[in-house]
Amino acid sequence: MTARYVAPADVTEVIAALAAGYRPIAGGTDLVVRARQTRAELPEALVWLGRVETLRRIAVGERDISIGAMATHRQIAQHARIRTLWTALADAASIIGSPATRATGTIGGNVANASPAADLVAPLLCLDARVELRSEDGARQVGLDELIVGPGRTTLGEALLGEIRMPQPVGRFGSAYVRLGQRRQMEIAIVGAAAALTLDEGGRVSHARVALTAVAPTVRRSSGAEAALIGSDGSDGPLAEAASRAAAEAQPISDVRASDRYRAAMTAVIVQRALETALARARGVAVPIPASDLMPGVV
Amino acid sequence: MRVSFRRQDGLGKVTGDARYVADLSVAGMLHGAFRAAGTSHARILGVDTTPALEFPGVHAVITADDVPEHRHGAFVRDRALFARDVVRWEGEVIAAVAAESPQIARAAAQRIKVDVEPLPPVIDLAATGLPDTTLIHEGWPEYEAHDDVVRHGNVASRSTIVKGDVEKAMAQAGLVVTDRFVADGSHAVPIEPRAMLAEWHADRVTIWSSTQVPFAVRTGVAEALGLRENQVRVVVPHLGGGFGAKCELGFEPQLAALARASRRPVRMVFDRREEFLLPDHRRERMIVSLETGVSEEGAIVARKVHLLIDNGAYSMDEPGLGQLAGMLSAGPYRIPHLEVQVDVVYTTTQPSGSVRAPTAPTVCWAVEQHHDVIAQRLALDPIEFRRRNLVRTGDLGPTGQRYEQAAALETLDRAVELMGPVADLPPGQGIGFACGMWPSFPAASGAFVMIHADGSGVIITGAQECGSGAVMALPLLAAEVLGMAPDDFRVVYQDTDAGPYDPGSSGSQTTLNNGRAVAAAAQEVREQLLDLAAEALEARRDDLVIVDGSIYVRGTPHISVTIRQLAAEAGSSGLLIGRGSGHPGALPAVDATRCTGRLGLESLASPSFFAHAAKVAVDTSTGIVRVLRVVAVHEAGRILNPSGAQGQVCGGVVMGIGQALTESIRLSEEGTQLNPSLLTYKLPTAADVPAVTVDLLELPASADLPVTLKGLGEPPCIPTPGAIANAIAAAIGVRIHHLPMSPEHVWSALAESGRGAAR
Repeated sequence: MTARYVAPADVTEVIAALAAGYRPIAGGTDLVVRARQTRAELPEALVWLGRVETLRRIAVGERDISIGAMATHRQIAQHARIRTLWTALADAASIIGSPATRATGTIGGNVANASPAADLVAPLLCLDARVELRSEDGARQVGLDELIVGPGRTTLGEALLGEIRMPQPVGRFGSAYVRLGQRRQMEIAIVGAAAALTLDEGGRVSHARVALTAVAPTVRRSSGAEAALIGSDGSDGPLAEAASRAAAEAQPISDVRASDRYRAAMTAVIVQRALETALARARGVAVPIPASDLMPGVV
Repeated sequence: MRVSFRRQDGLGKVTGDARYVADLSVAGMLHGAFRAAGTSHARILGVDTTPALEFPGVHAVITADDVPEHRHGAFVRDRALFARDVVRWEGEVIAAVAAESPQIARAAAQRIKVDVEPLPPVIDLAATGLPDTTLIHEGWPEYEAHDDVVRHGNVASRSTIVKGDVEKAMAQAGLVVTDRFVADGSHAVPIEPRAMLAEWHADRVTIWSSTQVPFAVRTGVAEALGLRENQVRVVVPHLGGGFGAKCELGFEPQLAALARASRRPVRMVFDRREEFLLPDHRRERMIVSLETGVSEEGAIVARKVHLLIDNGAYSMDEPGLGQLAGMLSAGPYRIPHLEVQVDVVYTTTQPSGSVRAPTAPTVCWAVEQHHDVIAQRLALDPIEFRRRNLVRTGDLGPTGQRYEQAAALETLDRAVELMGPVADLPPGQGIGFACGMWPSFPAASGAFVMIHADGSGVIITGAQECGSGAVMALPLLAAEVLGMAPDDFRVVYQDTDAGPYDPGSSGSQTTLNNGRAVAAAAQEVREQLLDLAAEALEARRDDLVIVDGSIYVRGTPHISVTIRQLAAEAGSSGLLIGRGSGHPGALPAVDATRCTGRLGLESLASPSFFAHAAKVAVDTSTGIVRVLRVVAVHEAGRILNPSGAQGQVCGGVVMGIGQALTESIRLSEEGTQLNPSLLTYKLPTAADVPAVTVDLLELPASADLPVTLKGLGEPPCIPTPGAIANAIAAAIGVRIHHLPMSPEHVWSALAESGRGAAR
């Protein structure tokens, strides 16, 4: 049970509280739900990040975007520039949880929770996001693969996850996040995949990122899939090859949501759909957000 | 007569003014928590409550040693208040704790030391009958049971239905088709988890409870604690949904005993996890085996059915429901030769019990798929196959019961018309149909109607409002009899100290039974009013009419007296008080002499008939099914409240979609639940609900029928899974034999058939 609770408006006070052993709470959509389900008790001391205005800010610079850790999924999903340039992130922020959790849950919380099924992490990996960590020792930037090291495990320590930065894409670029779930809302990924592709002037893939959700202890990129795409013309053959390699790299488990066999097969399906959508967007086709609602054969 | 009205509990429920049990508190109240077994099958070697008693803030801890030794159960008395020697499912209650907060009570309950020796779990439904399977109830021959319960080993109840000569007819059939279907269990999931508050005054206890059956709870508490029924008062403030799962005696005796032991009022409110794990009610797992012989012309000539139904660890109402499932395996179809065997078997899992239309959606899902398979084998359109075999008025049911008014064909024809063309759909889409039937349940029920001196009225009833609006619609009936407006009446309900007996909100029968009682009570008041008016108007009683609150001689409305005027003066000659119960009516005659395990469900009173059509889209790469549209046509006698009826049907369809596609109790190898949370137990969300077209078929009232009011609470969830299953098969050419028809099950079936899409 939580005995101590602070909610400073000043970020240095937040950092001091973290150093003093307070655990951070953002939207609470993971922490509180876990406690209600008696899976994990609430920490004894909590610092709420919601009163620090700068942590809620989304700022688009000339070469990058900076998203405060307390930006909500709804804020991100509705952000005009994110919807155009960092589309995969808008896809994910539009489908995570329910309208209620999207209004409350935050990007920083989704990252720091380090769930293997975190919807925002695969897009962030594909969009080359870096995270700024702030502590009493100062600020440092790390990649997501350095931050998230296991299911529910991070290298955050007592630092504040302050903001998330992504470079502005250049050239013919498109990205997408596709998730497989049973319901239209309130789902956790059975399998999810993000893809980001850049095409050169000849229409060949010059840059490729593929990341997988819920098929390994952490959300991770698939180097095999990325390699299969570089230099290809984006035709069905290379896309299917990339999807197969991604499936081969997946380490799915059997749990209450799906069997490992189904997850492995679905990895290829979902990666292919993410690639097709990213490719279409790179080619200038306007694919509505979120991409997950556009499964073939389903209106 | 159609009168628009506003339900009396509506405003309070939408504004948050309505109070539920969890909102109640009384002076000195403590909080209760249970200690459940947590393991599915074990022998108890010892229970040490000392660590809980020593926990600061704890006032009382009780176990089996602190309550009378008492077994209960509707058909077999196999259930005790607390486990004593053996635990047979994970939710079985071992002890109860009363403490100063719910957190302290739960923490203390976990500190109770329970020393157990594990016993083998019995989970595999198909294997329960094997000779080397562990006997779950070693002492079962000593259990008291209904005289007609047929028991053997782990078979808690066996029932059979025999009609004609199946062997002979099957041998002569032009085509014999066999199918086997397997269904997971599912939950009712009311929004309000169970909540109770018990308070003693001297030797009387008041229990506020979220129950659908206050009178059954009163009886159950009295029996369990050795009280008379007039020492127990059960009140339901408002009920936040039940869907059948809050039928039968719940945990009220344990809470009353806990309050007595702690000498304080005690409230217990389940959290969501407890609501999944502890109640002895879930929709049953089932294995359905069907063999049907048909003529070359497509007429069903014979059917053999075996239903293997998971009773869980204890028999709640499942033995009776098993017999009902057997009856429904014939469906609304002409089957001249029929042989049904139903085995309700014990397993070391959560007990099964009534959940909205118990057993029916699962049986209908299997039977209606079977019918599409037969039609396909005959190269016959599935609608045409149904038309040839559906029962008509005058046909005989499985036990020889004569169907007096069978609208099965009319409902199917209407569903076909409303759904539109089934051909030329886009790839991956399909349309399917399913037909079904559901009985009325006549029962004793009572009500009072009174008119106060100012002309306002009150209905005092024992009926329970589960949210369906059945009790809220009772003023319509009183108003109709008394020539008054529905808003003239308040309803006092769901308090066993106020109203007469009623069976509760179960079996879709509140309108039928309590409606009859209210109409009879209102009729008595009407007679009293007519006596007074005859005197006041110096007119012949038989010439009087009551219209809009005034009484006058037919043809001379200007010479009248108002009910209000009569009521103001009624005291001098006797107050306006009516009491009503009415005869429930006899069940239809049947010949069940060749049937065994007859528990009262061999005769189905005034069944209602219905047909659903579903249109789906299937993603053949992933197995995901989206329901695009459902058409639901129901014949339900006279419709009292059209908007309420519409809502009932829509809600039932959504519940059916959940059972069809996503809802499943996942069990570990030990028989414990793997998904006791709303995150992992997949209810449909608002976003998953398709367009639902509701059509209510009202047939002309017939004097031959025992009732013109039929239930509409349960039927709407019955045919939806079957219609969706047939739509899936129409869309992808592959049949799904496992319920729910989850993406993985659909994908596996596609993969096995070679029809799955690669990506």
